[in-house]
Amino acid sequence: MRGATSAPRGLGWLLLPALLVLALFLGSVALLLFHAFWGKDGFSLIYFRQILDRADYHDVFLRTVSIAAIVAVAAAVLAYPIAWLLWRLPRWRNLLLVIVLVPWLVSLVVRTYGWLVILGPKGFLNETLKWAGVIQSPLPLIFNDLGVVIGLTHVLMPFSVIATLSVLLQIDNRLEEASESLGAGGFETWRRIVLPLSLPGVFTGLGITFLTSMGAIVTPILLGGIRQKMAGTQIYQEVVYNFNMSKASAWAICLLLLSGLGLALLRALEAALVPKADR
Amino acid sequence: MSRGTISITGVGKEFGTATVLDGVDLAIEGGSFVTLLGPSGCGKTTLLRLIAGFLEPSRGTIAIDGASMQGVPPRRRPLGMVFQNLALFPHLDVFENVAYGMRIRGTAASEIAARVSRFLGLVGLAGFERRRIGQLSGGQKQRVALARSLALEPAILLLDEPLSALDLQLRRQLQVELKSIQRQLATTFVFVTHDQEEATMLSDTIVVMNGGHVQQVGTPGEIYRRPASPFVARFVGDINMMDGRIEAVDARSVSVSVAGRAISVPRASVVGTASAGHACQLACRPESVRLEGTQADALSLEGRVTALHRLGPTVKAVLDTPLGPLTALAMADTPHVAELTEGKTARLFVPSDTFTLFAST
Repeated sequence: MRGATSAPRGLGWLLLPALLVLALFLGSVALLLFHAFWGKDGFSLIYFRQILDRADYHDVFLRTVSIAAIVAVAAAVLAYPIAWLLWRLPRWRNLLLVIVLVPWLVSLVVRTYGWLVILGPKGFLNETLKWAGVIQSPLPLIFNDLGVVIGLTHVLMPFSVIATLSVLLQIDNRLEEASESLGAGGFETWRRIVLPLSLPGVFTGLGITFLTSMGAIVTPILLGGIRQKMAGTQIYQEVVYNFNMSKASAWAICLLLLSGLGLALLRALEAALVPKADR
Repeated sequence: MSRGTISITGVGKEFGTATVLDGVDLAIEGGSFVTLLGPSGCGKTTLLRLIAGFLEPSRGTIAIDGASMQGVPPRRRPLGMVFQNLALFPHLDVFENVAYGMRIRGTAASEIAARVSRFLGLVGLAGFERRRIGQLSGGQKQRVALARSLALEPAILLLDEPLSALDLQLRRQLQVELKSIQRQLATTFVFVTHDQEEATMLSDTIVVMNGGHVQQVGTPGEIYRRPASPFVARFVGDINMMDGRIEAVDARSVSVSVAGRAISVPRASVVGTASAGHACQLACRPESVRLEGTQADALSLEGRVTALHRLGPTVKAVLDTPLGPLTALAMADTPHVAELTEGKTARLFVPSDTFTLFAST
């Protein structure tokens, strides 16, 4: 154990990269706060007022939170059966995990364009339905909030799968045998034992996907409506088109507070729903 | 016929190409405390899991109270199980753990409350209903696991080395309680252990297993006094083993030579078929090696004490004799024994009828 806890002499410089990253992070946060709160005549809340006083921006916040919440729930619901299957089939687990993760090897922009091909007005789905005579005119599956939800859910679902699977893998399989020996069938065992014990993983997934959706930029730009903006795209627009760093910073701080609020609500929900399991 | 009889006929189990159990025949009486005893890897846990239904036998049949268990899932078998790691449900409190089986069956709430408190009382945990599993000590968890599996009043309770994680003192205490609970409920207990002392202390019947086979079935006394094989003799209690050769066999006794010395053993002490000229193993328990007095029909030897362990009321001495090293166990308070020291030469006797002769066949 000698030397395991105290760093060997002369190797302190190995911390340099970490310090550099930390310095950049703190620097940018300081810059963000400066931009947001420093007006022409010193401290000012003008940029926040520019945002909070506009009703159309309220819609943007509401849409951002709603879409993030819907995406988080949809990803969790879709991911649970996949995680369960991966857990149940240890022999296939690695292969299935690769299938779940392989989309991440493709750039986000390419994947999102893939949805255009499938969901667009002249996309695969609409053309097929038209050919089959189910619909006359194309369904509006894209360039609206639905498109954003579909795109984000697809991109973020693997996070939920991994979060849920990692908790499922910690469940002692003797618990299921114990439940079975006490008369419970497979579904009953899942409902009473596996589900409650896997909920912490589901909530971790909800947290990750919710936060990531809150800050989404690329997917809403490509798949969302022109007028239906999310907070991320709004910030992007302020920075890239309007060069208004101060307003963008104020947007970012609002988004951060809103995300924190959402996360706090999620934690409260988890505390209420998930029984504390002692191991 | 009392409830909870198990008949196991010709049961074998393979995992891939490895044979874990082979030709196991076993009849377990209802209401008895049976221990499956053997070293790790002997197949005892596999046999228990076959009875529980978590595994299906590759060959043979298992019947409970006359009904074949083939294809019957664990949840439909009339048995409870206590797992080695207990497998308590960590997200439920003590009450809900014990109530679990009844909740599944849809038992009325008032009945559940009554039974939970009765069984928690039985295991000495009255008042612990709302404790969390993580707040319990090892021994308390043990009791919850027991109450949980007993609350459905199964005909048979299977216990897979449930006490192995506890310290010795607590283990002894729980053994006594386990035995008394078993007596009160008259449930068949099938208990797996590798600890021969535990098996001896708890069981009505011990099933000694090795290498996937049942070696011997008997009461603890029978197993100790009349082991059916050298393996059983060595596994249950201490024993001195000597290699020898059978010189002559007559109506009443068998004459054996060990290290050039002739020893006469009564026919009743022979396990297997003795025939002259064959190799054999001669065994005697340490307490049969006497360091005091004399006896007419006994092997008498001189030995030099090479090791001496005083264990409270008893003394364990290892003596170097012409037959090889022999271990003797004697009461410490007799004058002869009190004077023994390492390096001293002592006279020792082994009564002929305390030998067991394993004839190689």
